[in-house]
Amino acid sequence: MTPKTSTSARSLDDFLTASAALTGFGAFDLHGTGMAGLYHRTALEQVGGPAVGRFLDALDAAGGDPDGITDETARDIARAIAHMWYLGVWPQLAAPVHTALGRERANTAFTVSPEAYTEGLVWRTFDGHPAGAKPPGFGTWADPPPGAPAVPRAGERTSGLPGPREAGP
Amino acid sequence: MSPAPRHGRARYDVIVVGAGLSGSLVAKELGDKGWRVLVLEAGTGTLGSWPGHLGALDTYYAALAKVPNSPYRPNAAAPSPDVLDLTGLPSGGYRSHGYFLQQGPLPYGSDYLRAGGGTVLHWLGLTPRMHPEDFRTRRTYGYGRDWPIGYDDLEPHYRAAERALGVAGDAAEQADAIGLPFPDGYVYPMRAIPRSYVDDVFASRLDGAAVRETPGAPATTLRVVGVPHARNGTPDPRYDGGRGYRPVGAAGLPNYGERCVGNASCVPICPVQAKYTPLKTQASWDRRRVRLLTQAVVSRVLADGTGRALGVEYLEYEDPAAPAPTTRTAEADIVVLAAHAIENARLLLVSGLGNHSDQVGRNLMDHPVLLGWGLLDHPVGPFRGPASTAGLECFRTGPARRSRSPFRIEISNWGWSWPEGSPGSDVARLLGMGADPAQPRGKGLFGPRLRAALGREIGRQVSVQFLMEQEAEERNRVTVDRRRPDRLGIPRPVLTYDLSDRVKSGMAAAKAVSDQIFRLLDAEDRTAYGPGPLSPGWFRFEGRDFTFNGAGHGGGTHVMGDAPGTSVVDSWQRCWDHPNLYAVGCGSMPSMGTSNPSLTMAALALRSSERIHRDLTAAHRPAAVGPQEGRP
Ligand SMILES: Cc1cc2nc3c(=O)[nH]c(=O)nc-3n(C[C@H](O)[C@H](O)[C@H](O)COP(=O)(O)OP(=O)(O)OC[C@H]3O[C@@H](n4cnc5c(N)ncnc54)[C@H](O)[C@@H]3O)c2cc1C
Ligand code: SF4
Repeated sequence: MTPKTSTSARSLDDFLTASAALTGFGAFDLHGTGMAGLYHRTALEQVGGPAVGRFLDALDAAGGDPDGITDETARDIARAIAHMWYLGVWPQLAAPVHTALGRERANTAFTVSPEAYTEGLVWRTFDGHPAGAKPPGFGTWADPPPGAPAVPRAGERTSGLPGPREAGP
Repeated sequence: MSPAPRHGRARYDVIVVGAGLSGSLVAKELGDKGWRVLVLEAGTGTLGSWPGHLGALDTYYAALAKVPNSPYRPNAAAPSPDVLDLTGLPSGGYRSHGYFLQQGPLPYGSDYLRAGGGTVLHWLGLTPRMHPEDFRTRRTYGYGRDWPIGYDDLEPHYRAAERALGVAGDAAEQADAIGLPFPDGYVYPMRAIPRSYVDDVFASRLDGAAVRETPGAPATTLRVVGVPHARNGTPDPRYDGGRGYRPVGAAGLPNYGERCVGNASCVPICPVQAKYTPLKTQASWDRRRVRLLTQAVVSRVLADGTGRALGVEYLEYEDPAAPAPTTRTAEADIVVLAAHAIENARLLLVSGLGNHSDQVGRNLMDHPVLLGWGLLDHPVGPFRGPASTAGLECFRTGPARRSRSPFRIEISNWGWSWPEGSPGSDVARLLGMGADPAQPRGKGLFGPRLRAALGREIGRQVSVQFLMEQEAEERNRVTVDRRRPDRLGIPRPVLTYDLSDRVKSGMAAAKAVSDQIFRLLDAEDRTAYGPGPLSPGWFRFEGRDFTFNGAGHGGGTHVMGDAPGTSVVDSWQRCWDHPNLYAVGCGSMPSMGTSNPSLTMAALALRSSERIHRDLTAAHRPAAVGPQEGRP
């Protein structure tokens, strides 16, 4: 039961374009998570179609740059959508925004689905993998991550190191 | 509800209360020796099946706070404490609102898990041995309680435990860096789990550097040392005189989990089960002799007028959400309590047994943990691999113990997940969102700037964990409150907990070491302690702030000693007051040193199993059941 807004298309594509601006990840990457549809529906459910529409309009009016959004309600929706993409968690809205939207639900945070957690973008920002999923393989944690210098491995400098302390009396 | 005899025979050679680590080991040993064992487990058995395991994994993914108990469903019949039960108050102090009733000056900050498999389902899996001097701190340094046995008595059982749990480690390094005695040529079942890149960075900047706890104190030279793990790695062909070792895979899925693949979620759940859990031991029980009854909460140990334990009363339930229990009893020659340190004490107190010494429930110990965290000057690849693969062992021993608690330093591979709740908290912070939605929000970063800032900040996170030894103190204790029972009517545990000045002085020394470590690392030190909702363990000491956390290492509550007047169990973990009642687990430990305690606990359980076997053999011969008898 999502009321239509005045502006033309409030489709998944619009949501993805906005999500790309919010997250800094391209629409291709966002599609690749498999979460786009669920996140779109979640945003519509949580704040309602009209508010999502006003957020998209505000983003358009700011030339597609979320920094230019001045309306606090639209900005908090921007925060929530970015938060959801990064962590898979729909967050609490700012209390005044929650009130202003007249939401008929509790202002509580929740993980959108188990997959939403493992598809969180945050892990990719530092070339990681979600804790508990997509394991990179035995021993990979010993390699320098991208952009890090190589350092000597264990065993390459074991000679001449201190042994146990003198035991007490 | 009157006790109803269970269908079939309700008499066993041994009843084991609790299918966690110590209970599973005891049941395995005695079942293999031919004794009829009944294991009563309070929780459900769902985690022992592969679908049950996958369900827990999904619950973990969906949990908002990824705390140790997050994958495991709450159970009204067998409630567990949870770290989320504690909230810090704005200007110090704490509130406790869960299963534990807490009334101490400081909170006991650790949880455990009451489900088949027990707390080890969410353990990290580090298995260092205790140091020989940890067993005799009173004689050597004038504090704490001494063990009635020493490292040498336990050494063969340490080896047996390392086999039973499947330990990967480097014995030569443990001997060289820590001074642990091993038999000549001993190797662990598996080769050391590779050290992380974080460890290598620490080593390149810390190895050989000298630090001082106070300006005038003697210098201590730092060295990064690998830690043994109960985690599948690469088998060492030299093990067992060249017979090698076959890693034990997942329980419920064959040929799976035989090597750690770096999921980086050992706490609270290893998706592939490369980490040891008691479910693996249970999979090897001889089920003709070992009978596991889950959803059976032992409510009382039954004894006759002479002090002989007769068996137990237990409450069987169907629905963990709305338990309607049936009271039953079971009888055996020997009863073994293996329900966790705090639950063992609770059972003894509720039953009014074993407490001639007035020590039941006292001497509650943990490893209070101080955290230090900072940002390195280049990416370190956090959140990869097991939570910790190496540490600094140089503050565990030596004469400084006379005046302050010793400590073991774990280097964390998981960024600021413990101190700051990263990476979730980083996302919220950069988006301008505080924890309190009523507070005005910041503008927030978006788009490529958000993405880059997250990568830059999270990618450089490092942290260290200082595990302090806590000495046995009688005032730190578990009691029960009969007016405040749980859903099944069993009195809930009441905890009174505090840290001594010896522990706090150790934390002050640890903080001084932490400051120097971050300087040597050339890292931005972000460590900060203050009161607040997320800091129930905040306190001030000598004019400075500290916040500590629990390590999950509860012990001491049925303390072992050399005399019935001053201790609860003897060195076999047998109650002085009841020759056929054993209480096994960390609760027996008079001191825990600075080592994660479960390997030592496992060694004790295996040692006790030998004693129980001898007790039973003296009474009668094992029953012959089935064709396995007589095989070589
Ligand atoms: C987060 C975390 C990380 C840890 N990491 C490490 C580590 O890296 N290394 C280490 O050495 N240790 C670690 N530990 C400690 C370790 O988990 C415990 O020492 C160990 O689990 C204790 O084993 P146990 O068999 O005594 O008790 P448990 O493992 O708790 O098992 C007790 C069993 O008894 C059952 N039970 C309880 N009450 C009853 C009752 N009334 N009737 C019937 N059954 C009952 C429970 O359901 C449970 O199955 C960690 C702990 C935590 C919390
Ligand atoms: S690092 Fe991953 S695979 Fe390895 S033990 Fe931990 S959770 Fe399991």
